[in-house]
Amino acid sequence: MMKRTTILSALSIILAVSTVFAQDSLSTYDRQIANLDQQVTDLDRKFGKQFSLFKPGKSKFMLRGFFFTGFDMVSSEGETDYNFIGGGINPVLLYKQSERLFFEAEFEGEYVNNEFNLGLGYANATFVVNKYITVRGGKFLIPFGSFTEKLHPAWINKMSSTPLGFGHDGIAPGADLGLEVRGAFHIGAVKLNYQAYVINGPQLKTGVDEPEEAGMLKFGSYTDNNPDKAVGGRIGIFPMSNSSLELGFSGMTAGVGDKGSAYSKVRANLFAVDLSYVKSLNFMKSVLDIKAQYNYSQVGDANYAVPDDTTDLFYDFNNVSSGYYVQMALRPSLVDNNFFKRLEIAGRFSALQTPEGSLWEQAPTQWAVNLNYWFNWRTVLKLGYQTTGGLGDHDSGTSITQNMFTVRLAMGF
Amino acid sequence: MKKTTIIFTILGMAALSAYITGCKTQTEMVKAKSGAQLWGENCIRCHNAPSPDTFSDVEWEVAGMHMQIRANLTEDETTKIIDFLKAAN
Repeated sequence: MMKRTTILSALSIILAVSTVFAQDSLSTYDRQIANLDQQVTDLDRKFGKQFSLFKPGKSKFMLRGFFFTGFDMVSSEGETDYNFIGGGINPVLLYKQSERLFFEAEFEGEYVNNEFNLGLGYANATFVVNKYITVRGGKFLIPFGSFTEKLHPAWINKMSSTPLGFGHDGIAPGADLGLEVRGAFHIGAVKLNYQAYVINGPQLKTGVDEPEEAGMLKFGSYTDNNPDKAVGGRIGIFPMSNSSLELGFSGMTAGVGDKGSAYSKVRANLFAVDLSYVKSLNFMKSVLDIKAQYNYSQVGDANYAVPDDTTDLFYDFNNVSSGYYVQMALRPSLVDNNFFKRLEIAGRFSALQTPEGSLWEQAPTQWAVNLNYWFNWRTVLKLGYQTTGGLGDHDSGTSITQNMFTVRLAMGF
Repeated sequence: MKKTTIIFTILGMAALSAYITGCKTQTEMVKAKSGAQLWGENCIRCHNAPSPDTFSDVEWEVAGMHMQIRANLTEDETTKIIDFLKAAN
């Protein structure tokens, strides 16, 4: 009996002790589990927060643009100048606020004559109304032909320079302030695109400030000189289903004279036709790229004061200008050789004719050839040669021959 | 005279049918283009076709919308090209 009592007591004690140890063990496990829970929570917070830094929001911002620099050797009238040209940098800010709202702005920075000049290339906001209509307002590149709007950046332009008639003292508009509607759609296999705009428009130079430029058009003014806004547009047609060929037709009409002046009724009408043909030629293992544009500008009749004349003499002329360029490039990008596939040869002919009888009359022609090496799809080293002849710049009005060797490094980013 | 009219009518209808059939086939071909094909066809109209690994998915969405506006791409073309670039980067 005593023995059984002893055994039962011993078992009870063992059971009690075991229970206590078990409770202790459970508590330990609970604490460990709680710790692990906490660690997981902490890690989730930590990495969740880090992840959220890369999680895209609805607003999407991007910095793009291009940089260029180079070297010029220019021979003209028996003199030769050698110059490294200043680095130009054009940052482009892109901001997609939503699927319908977009903003773009380009700044133009260049180091010229020991000064850094910064300008605004364009800045505009776009609203996508539907899949066929897009509206944008602000300062934008005018869709007059294709060169100014699509081909002018240094990393896109296959040549070292712009064709005659574009840029400073050109006959084609660059950027302007206003409102534009654009879009693209298919009709069967044919693709069409359109742009229509109202802008401040060009202004007539009357010769008061610069007599030698009387009758010229000044593009891209921030304030208009009259209430007659410029209206214009472009229609682009892709007749082939592979989009290799585009034909563009552009036009613009504008009142250009100062309001209330003797020139208030003067109007300008501008037209352009452009062509783009880009096709892979498998038999040559190359890509052929042809671009062309013809510009025409007609300004209404007006009389301009003869410079340095005290007898109030005036002169006039048929204020019609025209210019064009044809460019062809071939790049054997389909060959296997890693060096040759990066090479590209390009040639361009351009011509300009400004009004006969004007003080800025000129009729130059220009040949240009380039050998380009593409480091990648957006970085190129361009070696160029161009020769310009014919009736020269409007300051001298004499025949000129100018030869130029160029080296350009252009980088898109 | 009547026979000639009938022959020309039949020939005209045959030509019209061929044209409509051709257009329909072409339209279907255009609609069926892949993002890779559209990327190859459209980008090189102005510049070299960009490498997909140039930008992130988010950046391609921004660059894509920029090009839709600048290069006059249709909405369908833009969507396909962006999807292709995002899948291949």
